[in-house]
Amino acid sequence: MEALQFIIILIFSPMLQGLIKKFKANMQGRLGPGIFQTYYDLARLLKKDMVVSNVTSWIFRATPYIVFISTLAASMIVPVITAQYPFVAVSDVIALIYIFGLARFFMALAGLDAGTAFGGEGSSREMTVAVLVEPMMVLSIFTAAISAGSTNLAMIAKTQNIFYSPSHVLAFSAFIVAVIAETGRIPVDNPDTHLELTMIHEGMLLEYSGRYLALMEWAHYMKQMLLFTIAVDIFFPFGIVAGALGITGFAASFGIYTGKMLFMCFLMALIESTRAKMRFFQLPSLLGGAFVLSALSLLIYIMMGR
Amino acid sequence: MERVYKKAVGVKKFLNEEYIEVGADDFRDICTYLEKKQGAFRLMFAADERRIDGTFKIYVVFSIHGKDAFAVIVLPLKDALFYPSLTVNIPAAHWYEREIKDLFGLTAERHPDLRRLVLHDAFPAEVYPLRKDHCFKEREWVREKIEDKKIRSYEDKKDTTSQLLSFPTSYSFMQVEGEGIYEIPVGPVHAGIIEPGHFRFSAVGETIFFLEPRLFYTHKGTEKHFEGMSFSEGVKLAERVSGTSSFSHATAYCLAVERMSGIEITEKAKAVRTLLLELERLYNNIGDIGNMCAGTGLAVGYALGAVTKEKLMQLNDRLTGSRYLRGANVIGGVTKDVFQQADDILNTLDIVTKEYKSLMKLLLGTISHVERLENTGRLSKELAQKLGVTGVVARASGINDDIRKAHPHLLYDRLYFEPHTSVRGDVFARMTVRAAEVECSISMIDTLMESGYKGELATAVKDIRPYSHALGYTETPRGSVFYWVMSDEKGRPMRVKLRSPSFCNWPAVPFAVHGNIVPDFPLCNKSFNLSYSGCDM
Repeated sequence: MEALQFIIILIFSPMLQGLIKKFKANMQGRLGPGIFQTYYDLARLLKKDMVVSNVTSWIFRATPYIVFISTLAASMIVPVITAQYPFVAVSDVIALIYIFGLARFFMALAGLDAGTAFGGEGSSREMTVAVLVEPMMVLSIFTAAISAGSTNLAMIAKTQNIFYSPSHVLAFSAFIVAVIAETGRIPVDNPDTHLELTMIHEGMLLEYSGRYLALMEWAHYMKQMLLFTIAVDIFFPFGIVAGALGITGFAASFGIYTGKMLFMCFLMALIESTRAKMRFFQLPSLLGGAFVLSALSLLIYIMMGR
Repeated sequence: MERVYKKAVGVKKFLNEEYIEVGADDFRDICTYLEKKQGAFRLMFAADERRIDGTFKIYVVFSIHGKDAFAVIVLPLKDALFYPSLTVNIPAAHWYEREIKDLFGLTAERHPDLRRLVLHDAFPAEVYPLRKDHCFKEREWVREKIEDKKIRSYEDKKDTTSQLLSFPTSYSFMQVEGEGIYEIPVGPVHAGIIEPGHFRFSAVGETIFFLEPRLFYTHKGTEKHFEGMSFSEGVKLAERVSGTSSFSHATAYCLAVERMSGIEITEKAKAVRTLLLELERLYNNIGDIGNMCAGTGLAVGYALGAVTKEKLMQLNDRLTGSRYLRGANVIGGVTKDVFQQADDILNTLDIVTKEYKSLMKLLLGTISHVERLENTGRLSKELAQKLGVTGVVARASGINDDIRKAHPHLLYDRLYFEPHTSVRGDVFARMTVRAAEVECSISMIDTLMESGYKGELATAVKDIRPYSHALGYTETPRGSVFYWVMSDEKGRPMRVKLRSPSFCNWPAVPFAVHGNIVPDFPLCNKSFNLSYSGCDM
């Protein structure tokens, strides 16, 4: 039963995307599409025929499955509503980062595979951003990991060490920047743009259509929800069930989890609506700044002990 | 000017236009002298006047600095199909000379780049559509031949066509070679609902080293089409050259025809035209400021701009029955007395002013937005002058040029306004110049609404004398637009030349984006906000 908590991520991730879009639309004074629109889009894409360029190799065809399955695997090892589940032994933060790395690696290859200019641009930019984001993400998680005494996500969540100290705040801000970069949101990337020349994440997906595109999009939504979940697991783990999951425990935990996800969606929409996208060459200053924040948080934690 | 008159073969004066006929030997010297010392290069075109005096004519129009006068240099080409190129001395003539070569088959000698511009590869070689003896039947003849042979497949058809007609060698893009340079072809079909245009970037990493745009995918033969219509029908075509400048185009066209036939329009008609021109400028500039936010990803700014623009377009609809102010202009005047809806105009303007102010407060207060605009897409004054750019782009680069000021028409001589310039020449400057123009337009509309105007809406159309011609011009939201019309022996259009601001400004885009990064190109392009349709006539 507890092993199936990843289904929450699988099922609700498109709705989260819909929610962010709805929040953003409302902030812009628009009505916006309904929150279920992402489901209709996925259903439509799954039904559609695919157009695959004849110069592509197996990488192009395998990537959607690799990306989808690796993201699904990542969601199995993350504690969603309970920290007591069969995969606890492998729910390591470093493993998680590398599972994301695997998906990213294949996505970048697939972007290059069709040989179009936009795909190559997307891949090259994605890797540039990834190089800057990964260490920052790891460092900010380490602040929490040290206090829990483990890099195991379930352990971190279970420790419930809600500490409102400078190191906590710094690590959380750095992690939010990492989430923005990883999910391709403003100010790093613009998820709503149609301008191919400015794309990062979308650039790599330009050649995909039909079922492959649906898988890639769905995997992206899942990754987004996963990152939100990791953020709350690490920084606001209150309410997560530490022991066996009963009906009341499930309901309470699920309710609190829903609240936290709504908060994350709102935060993302707010950040996206109040900022313009950064110039690509200035991203290192944002991501580098966030790296300094995470390093500082670690230092403060080591020196102050909290 | 004495120097010019001395060498002139003949001088003819008509209103504020002075037609100076010169010989081929003096052509380049006189034009260069005028451009360097006396005025600004406006446009250049050819006309097939073999029916009148057996010559092709090249016309080059200059504005004389400091007074409301045009010097039009006329070069008749009796037997030769060559004339001295101006491009080496006046770079702004570059595209005009290529256009003349494509459409008339008149070659500019020593032009540095004689590749095709307007017509693409599928158009047969040595067929010049703007010549009077160009016959559309020629193509029908080819079609008949093909049908005779009962050719079905596309490949066969292509073979036969190429046997009957010769085609030019295919277009070759400029090649940039070097370590680490790669090409990014973009378009002609783009994402989003925009018109077709191909952009070939040569980039080093993310930095744009060279950009070659290829436009004219939507060449519609507009100028030729004018020749088949009557002058009054032509208004409808002029309105449809470029959607967002419908009214300016129609006004410039009507002014040209009215000047040619000696129609004096009433004060009322002048006031209505001035008011609608400013309303058109207003909705365009506010829309453009909002549109730049789409380039930086500031969705809230984009949404606010779109809402305000929509209110103005709905006002247009209430005033004239068309969101794009179509159908309001006729030869001799206007069709609607919009001053009867003065309350509506003033109320909407109040709302728009408030919304516009809060939009500008938001944009200038969002550091991340301003930061993206500053130092992006810089076009130096020197380059802008050489390339002969016009409108907002020219003013943002420090060129104080506005047709409303340089050649006052309609009621612009009575209204007080100053063209706003900036020396920065970057995307931010183009936004601030647009913002200044919005405020200028609002105050002009307020002033216009204060007084009453006398006269009928439209005056009677007079007969047009054979072989008369005149210029018509106004300032569109993008820059100056020129129409030059000429009547034939029956008083119908013989040649209509139209020069839209986009035709002047497109060549400047590659220079502005040089050294910027590839992801900033859409933002630079949006700050120019050029029309494809208005360029690819």
